[in-house]
Amino acid sequence: MTMGTDAKEGVRLVYRRFSTFHRFNHYLAMLSFFGLVLTGIPLKFKESYFSKLLIDGLGGVEAAGFIHRTMAVINILYFVLETGYMVYYVAARKGPIFGDDSIVPGKKDWQDMKGMFRWFFGRGPKPALNRFTYWEKFDYWALFAGTILIGGSGLMMWFPEATARLLPGVALNVALVVHSNEAFLATGVIFIFVHFFSAHGRPESFPADEVIFSGYIPVEHYIHERPLEYENRLKNGTLDQVVTPAPPAPRRRLFRWITGLVTLFAFLAATYTLLLIVWPLVS
Amino acid sequence: MVGGARNSARELAKEFTFSSGRALFLAFSTLLIVVLAAAPAPAAGGAPLPQNQPVAPVTDFTQRCLTCHSQPYLGQVEVDGRAKSLFVDPTAYKDSVHGLLPCNACHTGFTPDPHQMVSNAEFFAQTAGEACRNCHDDQFEMYKQSYHGTLSRSGSAESEKAPLCVDCHGSHAIQKVNTLAYRQGIQDVCGRCHGGREATYLDTYHGKAVTLGRQAAATCVDCHGSHSILPVANPQSTLSQANILGTCRRCHPEASKGFTTFLVHITPTSPKAPLVVFLVAMFYLVLIIAVFSFGGVHTLLYIYRGLKDGLYFRKGGH
Ligand code: HEC
Ligand code: HEC
Ligand code: HEC
Ligand code: HEC
Ligand code: HEC
Ligand code: HEC
Ligand code: HEC
Ligand code: HEM
Repeated sequence: MTMGTDAKEGVRLVYRRFSTFHRFNHYLAMLSFFGLVLTGIPLKFKESYFSKLLIDGLGGVEAAGFIHRTMAVINILYFVLETGYMVYYVAARKGPIFGDDSIVPGKKDWQDMKGMFRWFFGRGPKPALNRFTYWEKFDYWALFAGTILIGGSGLMMWFPEATARLLPGVALNVALVVHSNEAFLATGVIFIFVHFFSAHGRPESFPADEVIFSGYIPVEHYIHERPLEYENRLKNGTLDQVVTPAPPAPRRRLFRWITGLVTLFAFLAATYTLLLIVWPLVS
Repeated sequence: MVGGARNSARELAKEFTFSSGRALFLAFSTLLIVVLAAAPAPAAGGAPLPQNQPVAPVTDFTQRCLTCHSQPYLGQVEVDGRAKSLFVDPTAYKDSVHGLLPCNACHTGFTPDPHQMVSNAEFFAQTAGEACRNCHDDQFEMYKQSYHGTLSRSGSAESEKAPLCVDCHGSHAIQKVNTLAYRQGIQDVCGRCHGGREATYLDTYHGKAVTLGRQAAATCVDCHGSHSILPVANPQSTLSQANILGTCRRCHPEASKGFTTFLVHITPTSPKAPLVVFLVAMFYLVLIIAVFSFGGVHTLLYIYRGLKDGLYFRKGGH
């Protein structure tokens, strides 16, 4: 377990997986996403008792709408930064665009997925996964595409009169369908099925993976979790670019606290969202 | 038709003539007059009481009717197959906008002494509509011109189905209409007869926001009118080609003609919706089912393997 090992003061070498920029961007995405879900989903499930509770708690529909729009601005900011980085990465050839170490899906992801299913059923060993696993790539690109769709439709709903000057009125109907469904899809993917599980529920990450907050994991974990990247780096001699001494203990404790708090909040938010959605079905 | 209440009515009426009952009743109503005379007069606003209407001493009269009608065991009368409770909740009545009116403000001709039995459909139709006219002539005249009003007087088979004043306001617990609670109730008032329209409205922002307590978002009557409702095809309708822009602009001052073509009453997943909307809705339906099922199966299998191989609680990492 990441947290468990990390708690041992003996950790000396760590693998740096995420840069400060990426961690910062994840904070933005996370904060805005929590805010958007908590102020948007109640509207979709308006008949739920829990929606009423939450909206009243926030100070009414208008207050929730204000928070929703504030968070939307942060969400759009994160997206612009991420896209900017992507352009910079490609233009400045910061690293490989395709291949094992890239976030771009490739043939190996398909093979990994088949391999994982064989492993699930006990028909083979766990495949040596890439630097980014296929579900991490799905997570990343689904959110990337989702943000375009949800942000675009959200802006149309934010400025319906201006939208209707450029497009026919039915575009507002389409925007509502896209926003509402995409929000539901994204919430399911992030809070339940893919992201939440990947970060908290897998044996490798249970009960919480702090790598996105601290940026590093102990090298022993790294070798075990990303064997392919490790081997690649060993081969082409780039290992020392990513392996550094661990930060001092107070800093490590700080990240553990952050991870713990975010996990708790994420768990509550996910439970709440589930309640909100399930309530109308059972009551 | 009259239900089983009649026998008990006779008995009640007899009881009421007993002197002991009367003495008690008089004592009680005097007390009430004293208490209520000290109560503040109704706030100004709404329709003023017409000057020429003989108004009985309010509380005494009301209280005498309530001696019987506040008894839950009074039973029901049946009118055209529909049971109507004879019970009038005194607190709800007192708290209603008409709480200080004597009962015969609407039930003209009724006297507290055992009164005539007029439980027939005409009586109810008359009370439910015309009774309000005395004081709310404006609304009544508007209503008369509206589709509902015309329908109710058309004498056709459909006329029974048209809403009268009471269908939208109630009778003895009528509340002010400019409150959030009343606005939140409008969708259900109309939804009793226009359920499909209510469902589609609730899928739009207006419906969601009103349901969750935003008073400023549009209710049915902000678009359709309340007493002047007409089919959209009628040029006089608030939503006719000529008027719809003005209707939206009351709350959306920047609205353009294109804005008014936003569709309020569509079910995106129905093939009757515009093709783009239908296709997008279907796309998401399939996508959501596919992603959630695959994600769910993947997750469960992963957990299963993790537990089976004892990977979760292994000391010292993986
Ligand atoms: C002695 C008890 C008693 C008193 C006092 C009384 N009522 Fe009634 N009322 C009844 C009963 C019993 C019925 C049911 C009659 C029936 O079955 O037709 C009734 C029925 C009614 C109805 C329904 C119409 C109908 O005839 O079925 C109205 C309206 C009504 N009362 C109004 C009043 C008003 C207004 C007063 C005061 C002015 C009043 N009542 C006083 C006992 C009383
Ligand atoms: C604002 C007008 C108004 C006043 C004031 C009023 N009523 Fe009514 N009442 C009505 C209407 C309208 C109906 C018909 C209701 C229906 O069709 O559902 C009615 C119906 C009734 C009925 C028949 C059963 C029922 O509930 O439908 C009774 C009994 C009755 N009223 C008693 C009273 C008594 C007692 C008072 C005084 C405390 C009173 N009413 C004051 C409007 C009024
Ligand atoms: C189809 C439902 C419906 C019917 C029928 C109806 N009303 Fe209304 N009424 C409303 C609604 C909704 C409002 C809220 C006002 C608004 O937002 O337009 C209202 C408001 C009122 C008001 C408050 C003043 C105003 O105009 O806003 C009065 C008084 C009133 N109605 C009386 C009546 C009378 C009298 C009748 C019968 C002639 C009647 N209503 C029939 C739905 C109805
Ligand atoms: C005797 C006169 C009288 C009769 C009859 C009467 N009303 Fe009223 N009504 C009033 C008065 C006066 C007010 C204003 C009360 C206030 O402002 O507190 C009022 C208020 C209302 C309101 C609330 C209006 C607002 O501004 O929110 C509605 C709705 C209403 N009446 C409906 C009806 C209906 C429906 C009937 C028939 C069943 C009816 N009234 C019969 C006198 C009457
Ligand atoms: C008691 C039942 C009832 C209530 C309550 C009611 N309506 Fe209606 N309404 C009808 C009937 C019946 C028709 C005629 C339907 C037809 O001709 O097909 C009608 C017709 C209409 C029409 C004309 C278009 C059409 O479908 O033909 C509109 C618009 C409308 N109602 C709106 C409303 C609104 C808004 C409310 C709430 C303020 C409301 N109605 C409340 C029964 C009701
Ligand atoms: C934002 C404005 C708006 C709101 C709010 C709204 N409607 Fe409508 N409604 C329309 C428009 C525009 C149409 C005409 C287009 C159509 O038939 O869909 C319409 C059509 C209708 C019709 C058919 C009228 C006809 O002539 O065929 C009925 C009935 C109706 N609405 C009832 C309701 C009810 C009930 C509610 C509340 C639950 C409601 N509407 C809320 C705008 C609105
Ligand atoms: C009683 C006031 C009122 C009326 C009338 C009204 N609206 Fe609205 N509408 C609102 C409010 C309030 C909002 C929320 C605006 C916001 O928060 O920016 C809104 C939002 C909207 C939105 C954007 C909702 C979204 O997020 O998808 C559309 C589209 C819309 N209205 C269409 C209409 C149309 C078309 C009409 C005329 C047929 C109309 N409205 C009439 C109050 C009204
Ligand atoms: C990124 C930019 C976004 C913008 C500009 C935006 C804007 C809006 C606006 C204007 C509304 C109308 C209701 C209101 O005013 O409160 C809305 C509704 C909503 N938003 Fe967003 N939003 C964004 C992102 C998100 C995200 C990420 C989610 C959740 C995952 C989300 C979930 C919802 C939901 C569920 C609704 C209610 C839709 C319905 O009516 O069914 N939004 N959004």
